[in-house]
Amino acid sequence: MKKKIWTLCSVFVAAVAVIVVTAYSQENVKSVQDSAFKTKMRPGAVFLHDEHNKKAEIDDCGTCHHVYKDGFKVEDETSEDRECSECHKIDGDPVPLVTKYHLRCKGCHEEKKAGPIMCSECHVR
Amino acid sequence: MHDIYNFVSGPLVWVSFVLFIGGCIYRLISMAALAKKKDPVVYDYMNLRYALRSIFHWIIPFRSENMKRHPVFTIVTFAFHICLILVPLFLFAHIILIKESWNISWWFLSDSTADVMTLIVVGSCIYFLVRRIVQPEVKFLTSPSDYLILAIVAAPFITGFWTYHQFAGHKVMGIIHILSGEIMLVAIPFTRLSHMIFFAFTRGYMGSEFGAIRHVKDW
Ligand code: HEM
Ligand code: HEM
Repeated sequence: MKKKIWTLCSVFVAAVAVIVVTAYSQENVKSVQDSAFKTKMRPGAVFLHDEHNKKAEIDDCGTCHHVYKDGFKVEDETSEDRECSECHKIDGDPVPLVTKYHLRCKGCHEEKKAGPIMCSECHVR
Repeated sequence: MHDIYNFVSGPLVWVSFVLFIGGCIYRLISMAALAKKKDPVVYDYMNLRYALRSIFHWIIPFRSENMKRHPVFTIVTFAFHICLILVPLFLFAHIILIKESWNISWWFLSDSTADVMTLIVVGSCIYFLVRRIVQPEVKFLTSPSDYLILAIVAAPFITGFWTYHQFAGHKVMGIIHILSGEIMLVAIPFTRLSHMIFFAFTRGYMGSEFGAIRHVKDW
């Protein structure tokens, strides 16, 4: 009996640990939030990084984490280590950067006819 | 959802804008022609100086005797019209959709400000409704179409508020919101809402006749 409880407890603790670690790890991102948006108007967009890319069959990180030089995409370079706003700068007006994000996400969803397109589908309250 | 959303936020927006702008131009031209045929003196009496003088007095709160006599109505109607026009033009959600489609954008209201202004519009509509039901002299002049017009105007604000706050069924409500906005735009030239385009002319004519002919104030 005692042994059973111990096993159960350790399984439980292990499960919690796995959940906590995955939830906070860099690898499995759950929402997109750029620190350049100082006063936030909406909740960060829901985005389960790994699930999304598996479902959408995106293998090339550069699809989103692209690098451009002189107006051309650099094919073998990617930018996972940077926020979008490091290149797509905000100069007081958030609209251009918001649009970059929207066209990257919603633009593709429109093309593929799959995935969220309305405000409330991404900015879930 | 993709197909319906794309349809109401794409082709239908074009249809409603063409009908709205084209309808306004058509109404202005046909009204001008009708006046020329049936009431040509309007053209003789129209006087720019007195017209502008009268419009000026009527677009400023409490500048007219009638407004002083109805302080609550004056405050409500000014708050209503200001919010009604500013919210759709400067709402962030609208701006961002326009930016995504045509790559143009302009100044916007914060979402919380727009939210309060939306409530002011809805509250004013409730006031107009109650006033029509309760006040005998207004009730006497009210026809069912007045209620319909009030509903057409309130609908985009109620459904927009609903969608923004993500109350139950907000996705469907978002579609209804866009549709109701389009219906309102199309209703402007073809219903009593056309006072938006005719206001300056009716007021201007009153000002001209009272100012240049009768030499009295009309405010
Ligand atoms: C013609 C096409 C239109 C489209 C595509 C459209 C789209 C939208 C969208 C996407 C939202 C935001 C919903 C959210 O935050 O999740 C919104 C909100 C709103 N819209 Fe529109 N709209 C249209 C027309 C109109 C018109 C004509 C009016 C008013 C006359 C209007 C008034 C509002 C209001 C009041 C809100 C909510 C503001 C708030 O409570 O914060 N819309 N609209
Ligand atoms: C420049 C534009 C406009 C002007 C100058 C204007 C002016 C007026 C005036 C003078 C009134 C009568 C109440 C009062 O004395 O204040 C009125 C009522 C009203 N207006 Fe406007 N208006 C404009 C645009 C609009 C638009 C765009 C709409 C809706 C789409 C609208 C909807 C209404 C409604 C619903 C009422 C009346 C409420 C009722 O009688 O039940 N107005 N407006």
